[in-house]
Amino acid sequence: MNQNLHQSGVTLLNALSKHADLIMQVYLSGRVDESKVSQNVIEKLIKLGVFWRPDADSEIRLKNAVRQLLETSMHDERTRQVDANIGSALASLKTLAQHYKEALHQGRFTESQAHLSDLTEHVYALTESLANNVRVLFSRISNEFGYVSSIDAKIRENELAQQQVSELLKQLELFRFDELSELAASNRELRHLLVVTLQLSFSQVIQELSIVQANLLELLGRFREFKGRTRLLKGFVLHMEQKPDFEPVNYCNLSQIPMLFNQANSAIKPAAADVFRAEHELVLQQLVSAIKSVRRNDYSAHPERAAQTINVEQQSSVEFAEDKLKSAVEDYFCHVIDTGERITALEYHSEHNLEFDTEAWIYQVIGGYQGLTMEEQGFFAIDQTGEPHPVYNGNYIIRDVELGLR
Amino acid sequence: MITEQGRILESLLAGNFICQISDDDGWRFLKTTGNSEKIETQLNLLNRTLATGADGDVFYAAYQTLGDNERKILSAQFQEVSSHLLPLVEWLLLVQQASGSDVPVSQGSAIRLTELQASIEDTPAFAEQLAKISHYRLFGSTSSSADGQLKQVFKRLTDLGYVLKPNQEKQIFIATGKIEYLFEVIKFIDETEALSLAEQAESAVQQASLL
Repeated sequence: MNQNLHQSGVTLLNALSKHADLIMQVYLSGRVDESKVSQNVIEKLIKLGVFWRPDADSEIRLKNAVRQLLETSMHDERTRQVDANIGSALASLKTLAQHYKEALHQGRFTESQAHLSDLTEHVYALTESLANNVRVLFSRISNEFGYVSSIDAKIRENELAQQQVSELLKQLELFRFDELSELAASNRELRHLLVVTLQLSFSQVIQELSIVQANLLELLGRFREFKGRTRLLKGFVLHMEQKPDFEPVNYCNLSQIPMLFNQANSAIKPAAADVFRAEHELVLQQLVSAIKSVRRNDYSAHPERAAQTINVEQQSSVEFAEDKLKSAVEDYFCHVIDTGERITALEYHSEHNLEFDTEAWIYQVIGGYQGLTMEEQGFFAIDQTGEPHPVYNGNYIIRDVELGLR
Repeated sequence: MITEQGRILESLLAGNFICQISDDDGWRFLKTTGNSEKIETQLNLLNRTLATGADGDVFYAAYQTLGDNERKILSAQFQEVSSHLLPLVEWLLLVQQASGSDVPVSQGSAIRLTELQASIEDTPAFAEQLAKISHYRLFGSTSSSADGQLKQVFKRLTDLGYVLKPNQEKQIFIATGKIEYLFEVIKFIDETEALSLAEQAESAVQQASLL
C-alpha cells in the first residue's frame, strides 16, 4: 500500500515536471488551449488530477490544489483569496484529539501515533493558513490596492478586505482555549499542539489583524479624501463657469478674521554688511574681489573715431597713376633694348618730358629692375651715379641711374 | 552660527510656509512639543503667532492682534489669494488629468515635467487647457509653445512656494504643504459660501452619464 502511494506520487510529480511548460501556461492564462496540446497529454493530466473539466462543454482548467501549490511557493498574491473556514478545521482537530486519546487509553500505540501525526499536520496547516490569510491582506494594503487603478475600485477592494477581516475575526472567536485545554488535559503532546502552538499563532494573527484593520480604515479615509478633493476641484471649476463673476466675500473685512487667512506679511529684510567686524573680513574680501568693474568706453566722446565713409574712387585713381609710372618704366626698358644705347634715367625723363617727380621716377626704375627675374636682370647693366652722404655714415645718395645692355 | 530655532524663526518671519517637504527639519522641530512654545513667545514680540493649517501639515506666522494696518494687509492678501484660486485649481485638474490618475496632487506628489509635457502635447485638449492656464495673470506666460508655457507655469509655482525642485538638474517638482493649504482655502470658501461644490461636481457627472 505504502509502496503504491509512493509510486503514484512519484508518477504525479514526474508528470508535473514533464509538462511544466504547459502547466505554467495554464496557470497564467487560466485555461488549456486544446488545439495546441495533444489529446493524450490532456487525458493523462486529467487522470492525475492536475487538470479538470468543470462542465462537459466548458474549457479545461487547472485544479485548485495545483494552483494553490504554485501560488504559495511563488508568493503570487494576485488571485489568492482569503479562505477562512476555521470552524470546521477546529472541529476536525477536536475529533482527532479524541481519537488519539481513545487509542492511547486502550493501549493501541501505533494507531495513536498515526492519529498524533495527523493531528500535528492539521494544526500546522491551520496556523499556516491563518498566517497566509493575514499575509494576503497585508500585501493588498502595502501596495494600496495597486492592482486596480481607479479610486472607486480601490474603495470597493478596501471594503471587501474589511469584510474579510471581520469574517476572519468572527471565525477566530471560535477558538475556545478553555475547551481545547480541557481536551488536551494532562497529555504533553496534545497540550503542546492544541494550546501552545495554536495560542501562539492565534495571538499573532489577532495582533496583525488589528493592524490590518487600522490600516484599512486609514486607507479608506485617504481614498475618500482623494475623491472628495477631486470633486471639490471640479465643482469649483464648474461653479466658476456658471458664475464667472463669483468672488468670495473678503473675509478679512469681517470682525473675526479666520485663522486660515491670517497670514503675517514678511517682516524680515536682508541684513546689511558690517564692515567693522573682523571675523567677516575674509568673506567680505572675497565678495569684493568677485565684483567685476565694467568700463564701457564712451565712443560718442571721440568724434574722430566715429565711422567715416571711405572714398573708393580716389584709391583707384592712385593705382592708375602708379600704373602709368610702371608702364613708363617699361617703355624706358624697351627703349634701351630697341636702341641698344646706354641712357640714364634722368636723360630719358627729360627727353620724353615725363611729368613724374624725378625721385619717384628713379625709385621706380630701380624697383623695375629689381622686379625682373634673375635671368632678365642679366641682360641689363645698371649703374648708379651718386655720392655717400656727407654726414651720416653708410648712406649713399643716388643722383641718377644709367641703364644699358650687357 | 544660527541655531535651528533661529533659522525657523527667520523663515517664519519671512512669510514662508514650513511643511515636511519644504523644510523637513523645521517641520519636525515645530512638531516636537515644547519647541513651538519657544517659537511662539519669540513671535509674540513682533505681534505674530504660530499658526498651523491643513491638520498640522503646514506652519506659518499669523498676526496676533489685528489693527487697521494688519487688516489692510490681510485684505489685500486675500484679494490676491482669491484671484489665484481659479488658475491654481485648473492647473491641479490639468496635472491630475494629464497624468491619468484620479489621485489629486497633494503634499509630496512628484510631478515629472517631461512626462507631463509629453502627455499634454499628445492631447490637443490638454494643450489648449495649458495655453489657457498659462495666460492667466498669475502665470503670465507669453509663449506659444507648450514647452515654454509649462516651464513658466512651474517657475511661477516654485516662486509662490506651491512646488519645489529638489534637484536643479532634473525637471521633477514636488508639491509642498502649501497645496494642502490651498485645498483648505477652497474647502473654507465652499463651506462659508454654501456653494456645495462637491455636489455640483457629482450632479454634473450624473448628468453626463444620462446623456
